[in-house]
Amino acid sequence: MKKVVDVSIPIGPIHPCFKEPCRIKCETSGERVLTTEVELGYVKKGIEKIMVGRPWQETIFLAERVCGICSVVHNTAIVEALEEISGITVPRRAQILRIILNELDRIQSHLLANYSYCYTIEHETLAMYLLNLRETSMDAIEMMTGTRIMTAYVVPGGVREDLSDKNAAGILEATYTLETELKRFVKMFETGPMIALRSKGIGVLSVEDALASGVVGPTARANGLPRDAREPDPLYHELGWHMILRTESDNFARIMLRFQELFQSINIIRNGLAALEPGKIRNGGTMKAGKVKHTVEAPRGALTYDIEIDSAGQVVSVSIQTPSIPNIEVASHAMMKNLASIADVTSTFISADPCIACAER
Amino acid sequence: MTVLQKLKNAVRKRSIHVCYVNTGSCNGCDIEILACLAPKYDIEQYGIYVHNNPREADVILVTGGMSAQWLDKLPDLWDRVPEPKAVVTIGNCPISGCVFNRPGKLINPPVSKYIPVTAAVPGCPPRPSEIISAILGAADILFKDYEIHQTEKKGGSHK
Repeated sequence: MKKVVDVSIPIGPIHPCFKEPCRIKCETSGERVLTTEVELGYVKKGIEKIMVGRPWQETIFLAERVCGICSVVHNTAIVEALEEISGITVPRRAQILRIILNELDRIQSHLLANYSYCYTIEHETLAMYLLNLRETSMDAIEMMTGTRIMTAYVVPGGVREDLSDKNAAGILEATYTLETELKRFVKMFETGPMIALRSKGIGVLSVEDALASGVVGPTARANGLPRDAREPDPLYHELGWHMILRTESDNFARIMLRFQELFQSINIIRNGLAALEPGKIRNGGTMKAGKVKHTVEAPRGALTYDIEIDSAGQVVSVSIQTPSIPNIEVASHAMMKNLASIADVTSTFISADPCIACAER
Repeated sequence: MTVLQKLKNAVRKRSIHVCYVNTGSCNGCDIEILACLAPKYDIEQYGIYVHNNPREADVILVTGGMSAQWLDKLPDLWDRVPEPKAVVTIGNCPISGCVFNRPGKLINPPVSKYIPVTAAVPGCPPRPSEIISAILGAADILFKDYEIHQTEKKGGSHK
């Protein structure tokens, strides 16, 4: 009797499915994947190390460049952490403008994640539809801030510039385009029989594994775990935020949850635009020394900045805990374990929306 | 010019295969390259195809400022790309390291130290339209009459 030889298949670091370099080593028996291991370290830039000893003004721009996809939320997180240290209050108009921009950023990030998934399962038509729809949200971000990526819109005490009535109308129009188009694409995704074959029941994350691993963001919410850092924020509740949960915990659930959150983000933006009242967009204040741990909800999950600054305004220590770290871990150790086919490895990995640049910094 | 060369010029002009290599960027430039794929910019109407496979690429788009892992891997990858080939760097990082080139850095810019760079697009990140025009501009100069230039070079060296 012949013994079945286990083959170790490497995927990456340059691979058509990956936006970023990472390497997945798969131990296989026939077509079945037994275990996988994710190898990182290709985009390590040492941002936390560069930040130490620099004045806080510079760290805002460095923090933004942790990740290009969710640059807005990194900007928001560090600025809110600095405000918490110094006790600077933010006017209501600026708070709402921040939420509008963050939700626009969430829309483009979720659309990119779902594009990547559809591209990985070779449904290129739907992928291109989603990528084209993403341009609508990028245009809305450009209308609001002046740039597409690296907006530097959130500054301590408020926001950089006001939203004019004309641009507010433009963003409102964009939300209607997004909603009508999205409804069509969600139906395509929900009812596509081939998509269901590649997605339903694949990459299932068990509740025990999810609880043990500290998974965050849409990956946790698709598992029925109510983990969302927006929950304690009263302004989000006022603008119509509520927890969206799914319980199937497979690839299909994770992508569908992102689609559902897109509709919620659109709703929050509309409510935010309606709630905008004329007023100040920036308050003054003095920076103080202190140490704080601040958490905000990034498109991929809870993002924590643990920052300490001294009386001269220089950063003493900083630690950035990004949501991709637990999500990549759980993808490699629990989701991709015992998959039926090698082809499902990349699609399961992408369904967790890994951001390597975030994870390595 | 032979008929074959004319044919090659005509074909190459409408078939530029692109592979992008992230050597430690923040994703900003990468998603702007990705945005070029969207029907709004429609990179494929110019005959540029993003395959992300170095073995069939004509143009390598390099983003990022060379992290330690890539120091030996990028020249190795460059060797595997079939001729004719070109490198276009996207963003500030491959040129200077941008904000990451500070005391305590872990990156080693510029990329031109390791592989020959044909064109560089500055910006943090550059717009998709700038990326498309850079690829088209570099490809026009490099791939036209490639074989004729190669024989001229070889003839020159034999004299």
